[in-house]
Amino acid sequence: MNKLKTIELMAPAGNYESLMAAIQGGADAVYFGVEQLNMRARATMNFTVEDLPRIAKLCDDNGLKSYLTLNTIVYDHDLALMKTILEQAKNAGITAVIAADQAVISCARQLNLEVHISTQVNITNIETVRFYALFADVMVLSREMSLGQMKGICEAIEKEQIKGPSGNLISIEVFAHGALCMAVSGKCYLSLHSHNSSANRGACVQNCRRRYKVIDLEEGNELEIDNEYIMSPKDLCTIPFLNQLLDTGVQVLKIEGRGKGADYVRTVIGCYREAIDSYLNGTFTDEKVNNWLAQLETVYNRGFWGGYYLGQELGEWTDGAGSKSTTKKVYLGKGNHYYNQSKIAEFKIEAFPLEVGDKVMITGTTTGIIETTISSLHVNDQGSSLKANKGDLCAFPLDVPIRKSDKLYKIVSQ
Amino acid sequence: MATVIHQREKCIGCNYCVELAPEHWKMSKKDGKSVLLGAIEKKGFWSSKISEQDVDVNEKAAKACPVNIIQIR
Repeated sequence: MNKLKTIELMAPAGNYESLMAAIQGGADAVYFGVEQLNMRARATMNFTVEDLPRIAKLCDDNGLKSYLTLNTIVYDHDLALMKTILEQAKNAGITAVIAADQAVISCARQLNLEVHISTQVNITNIETVRFYALFADVMVLSREMSLGQMKGICEAIEKEQIKGPSGNLISIEVFAHGALCMAVSGKCYLSLHSHNSSANRGACVQNCRRRYKVIDLEEGNELEIDNEYIMSPKDLCTIPFLNQLLDTGVQVLKIEGRGKGADYVRTVIGCYREAIDSYLNGTFTDEKVNNWLAQLETVYNRGFWGGYYLGQELGEWTDGAGSKSTTKKVYLGKGNHYYNQSKIAEFKIEAFPLEVGDKVMITGTTTGIIETTISSLHVNDQGSSLKANKGDLCAFPLDVPIRKSDKLYKIVSQ
Repeated sequence: MATVIHQREKCIGCNYCVELAPEHWKMSKKDGKSVLLGAIEKKGFWSSKISEQDVDVNEKAAKACPVNIIQIR
C-alpha cells in the first residue's frame, strides 16, 4: 500500500556548494537556515534573507522543494526579524517553513506560508499530530521513536484522514541519516551550562562529543569508562533497514548535516536516492546495502548505528573524537579557466602536488561537486607531464565546466 | 579609559550582554542582534569608549558571549 506513495528525500544545504551537491545527488527537497534564528546559528557561513530568491529559484529550476528552518526558541527581541524572514520567504516563493516556536507557526500561517513542525517539538503521539494538523502539513517525529510507534501514527493519519491546512493528509518526516545527540530531540542544556552557548539557539559547542572521566569523590579514584565517549552517540544510519523504515508509512526522509561539506551531502544523498528508488521498484538487496554502507563510510561519520528506531538498548557510543571516514580530502589548488571547445579544465596548484592517477574532487558554488580521476595532465604549457607542483598551472580533460572560484581536492584513503 | 569592540554581524541574539551590562547594551528590535550603545562602526567592528569603572561589567559580558564577539581593550 505504502509503496504507491512517493518518498521525499530532504537534503541539508549549509551553503551554495551543498545546495548544488544536493541537486546533483538527486534530493527532492533541501532545508537551510538564514540569519541567526536557526539551529546552525554558530556556522560561519549562514545564508541571509538576501539569498532567499536565489535559493528559491535554484530549487524551482531543478524541481526541488525549498524549506526554511526557523526552529530555534524565539525571544521578544527576535520577533521583528522572525516576521521579516517569513515575509521575505513568502515573497521569494520558498515552499515551507520548518518551525518549532508557536510564534513562528502563528506568523507563518497568517502569511499563508506552509508550515512543517520541527523535530524540536518532539512529536511522539497521534493526539499531538491532531493538534498540529490545524497549522502544519508535514510533521517531523521525535528521533526517539521506534518503527512500531511510527507505523501506528502513520496508520492513524490514514485511517482518521487527518489533514493539514493544504487539504492533503499529514506527511510524516523522520531523520534518516546523520548526527544524533544524547538529548531528547536535541533539547539539550549542556552547552548552555558550560559555555553560555545554547543548543536551542543554534549555538551548541558539542561538548558532549568529548571524553569524560568520572571521579569518585570519596576515594578520589578516576574512572574512564571503557575509553568510550559516553555522551557521544554514533551517527544514525538507516540504510540497512530502510525498507522497514519506509514500510511504516513515513514519507519524508531527512538527512542531517548543514554543518558538513558538499562532498558529504553528495555522497549521502546519492546513496539514499538509490536506496529509496530500489525500495520503490522492488530491488532493495543486502548486496546493495553493503555497497551503500561502504560509500557512506568514505565521508564524515562517527561510526553508524540504527538510532532508537529498532528499539535497541543504549550503549552505541562512539570510540573516537572525530570522523571515522575512510577517505579524506586534501586541498590542492583553485580553478583558473575552462576551455569550452576542447573541454579542458585548468587549475592553479597552491598546496600539494597533483599527479596522473589521482582521484580528485572539485567543488564550487555553481559547480557543486565533480569527482574524477586524472588520466592525463598538462603543466605550464610545457606539454604533458605526470605531476604538477605548487605554483604550477595545470590542465586536464573534464567533460563539465569549472569556474574560477572552484576548489580542487585530492581524495586519499586513511 | 578602555574600548569595547563588538563584531556585531556575528551576534546570535542570546541577550547575555544586555543581562550583564544593561547600561551599555540593548537588543535591537529590528534585527534581533545586540547593540553596543554609543558605538561607532568601522568595517563591521563597532567600538565604544568606556570608563575604568565600566570595564568590569563589560568584561563579564565579553566572557559570557557564546560567540566571542566582544573584546575589551
